[in-house]
Amino acid sequence: MAHVNIQNVQKHFGPVKVIHDVSIDIADGEFVVLVGPSGCGKSTLLRMIAGLEEVSGGEIRIGPREVSNLPARDRDIAMVFQNYALYPHMTVEDNMGFALKLKKVNPAEINGKVRNAASILGLDKLLDRYPKQLSGGQRQRVAMGRAIVRDPQVFLFDEPLSNLDAKLRVQMRGEIKTMHQRIGTTTIYVTHDQVEAMTMADKIVVLHDGYIEQVGAPLELYDRPANTFVAGFIGSPAMNFLNGRIEEGVFRTKQGLVLPLPQDVPSTAGGRELVYGIRPEHIRAVPGGIEGKATLVEGTGSEIYVRLDAGGEDIACLFRERLHINFGDTIGIAVDPTAVHLFDRQTGRRI
Amino acid sequence: MASVSIDNPMTRGKQEKRSKPSRLAPNYWPFVLPALIVIAAVIVFPWVFTLWMSVNSWTLGQPRVFAGFANYVRLAQDARFWESLWHTATYTVLSVILPLFLGTLAALVFDAKFPLRGFLRGVFVMPMMATPVAVALVWTMMYHPQLGVLNYLLSLVGLGPQEWIYNQSTVIPSLVLVETWQWTPLVMLIVLGGLAAVPREPYESAEIDGANAWQKFRYLTMPMIAPFLMIAVIIRSIDAVKSFDIIYAMTQGGPGTASETINIYLYNTAFAYYDIGYGSAMAVVFFVIIVALSFVLLMVRQRANWSDVENR
Repeated sequence: MAHVNIQNVQKHFGPVKVIHDVSIDIADGEFVVLVGPSGCGKSTLLRMIAGLEEVSGGEIRIGPREVSNLPARDRDIAMVFQNYALYPHMTVEDNMGFALKLKKVNPAEINGKVRNAASILGLDKLLDRYPKQLSGGQRQRVAMGRAIVRDPQVFLFDEPLSNLDAKLRVQMRGEIKTMHQRIGTTTIYVTHDQVEAMTMADKIVVLHDGYIEQVGAPLELYDRPANTFVAGFIGSPAMNFLNGRIEEGVFRTKQGLVLPLPQDVPSTAGGRELVYGIRPEHIRAVPGGIEGKATLVEGTGSEIYVRLDAGGEDIACLFRERLHINFGDTIGIAVDPTAVHLFDRQTGRRI
Repeated sequence: MASVSIDNPMTRGKQEKRSKPSRLAPNYWPFVLPALIVIAAVIVFPWVFTLWMSVNSWTLGQPRVFAGFANYVRLAQDARFWESLWHTATYTVLSVILPLFLGTLAALVFDAKFPLRGFLRGVFVMPMMATPVAVALVWTMMYHPQLGVLNYLLSLVGLGPQEWIYNQSTVIPSLVLVETWQWTPLVMLIVLGGLAAVPREPYESAEIDGANAWQKFRYLTMPMIAPFLMIAVIIRSIDAVKSFDIIYAMTQGGPGTASETINIYLYNTAFAYYDIGYGSAMAVVFFVIIVALSFVLLMVRQRANWSDVENR
């Protein structure tokens, strides 16, 4: 286990700069998730930590060692890849023991460690199989087993669940988290799926276009997003954004819709263009509330997702109670003022 | 109702089995007959005829006499046959190993990216396109002890002239050199195809697992291209064991019988001495040897093929 420190790291591909002075401090044993949309630089950053991409500037420390210029094999890390990257010609047992074999560990010890990792991951009966003979979930477990056997200072996961079906993804998510709680190794996990980030992380780093947008605990990001990007990215369904201004103690949208404000609105918020953010789950259905016409209704049984046209504004709502709403119905809604987020329209920053 | 078919190898196999008719309906025969006639004429008849000839004593111009297994007994006692068998084995083993080694090396070089790679690869495969007899003639000239370019090249580095194909002890290695020159490109192409099919991701895993360049080659590249190397071995072995044209055009089995392989001995027996019966017996034994060799190689190939594990 080790503390990982990333200081002003940059990456250029020729003239194209993809990572801009990124600094992250990861505590010993912490589970950190790098999250962001495709092309935000999260995988590149992870590969730089792994030593599979060169660092163009800044430094990376794992424990007390500066590793920026060390080859991957000398960094004492283990990595689980999106496509598993198993050795196709080796059995599960050989795949898991390969790193130790290279280190010339004696076969009895390799065998013991492989069997131990296999029992943690439920792979005991598959040790003599080849990767081709395994399902996606089993292959993913072998990739994790290969990492566990190494007993590295840091685990790196590069979108490890992307190739699995939805149900298996949820199951493996739990297994990775359980494994981390059991082993306690510092883990850096890359994903584009904010649900994965929210459910697994001790700390989330939101990246966008090679910049860090916000770093914080999952609930911190959910409750106090630093800007409209994080607000829109974290949370599913995404937050509603409505443009407008504060007028006479209420928020008036461009279309004229009047919405309530929280009590502690700073005085600087008045008189400028703002973005009013409210999450779909913080809107309640209230008879006699703000009226809106349903333009989309999707029920999943446990909840119902409705898009409303309220005075020309498109508002997404998520109701947990069983409501019978049909397309075209007009319903009343109320916004929870304590859950409202206000952002500066020009900078996108939280007010 | 519309149905969706999924290309699943498991169900595909079952469907094929189901749709396969248990026996050919009689009214299909006219369609199959032309092919059967051709097969019978060009494959079955020559074989049956060869088998029949091998149990007869028949020299052209003399009456044919049924001889039972006499030709086979004679073969077992024929020192020249055993010698030709040894020549064939030596020639085959060397003509497989050398192109395999050099072809793999060349494939690794051409797998890397460097300027003019495509052009140089084109030049490299050119020997394969030449006619063996033409190749043989060119190499015969190059091997000439007085006029040949090879002895001239040796003289440049201070080495004395060699007799190449004109010496009993160097004739087989010299012929193997020609075979190697011509067929290394084929091995290179096969292995290059293998290298292109090797997945790249395991190399990143290996990098993280602590493998250096040699270990990546030893533990990843070699086993992953092993099925392709086996294909090259099979093709080269079958080709080399029945090699005839280069040897015949360059030495005709000489000097003496120093480069006489089974093929050359067989040809001489049947078409120089017109001993058709004895030559046929030799052909039958040779055929059995080739079939046995192919069988062994195919068995080894299946064991070496990691990409085929589910079929084991």
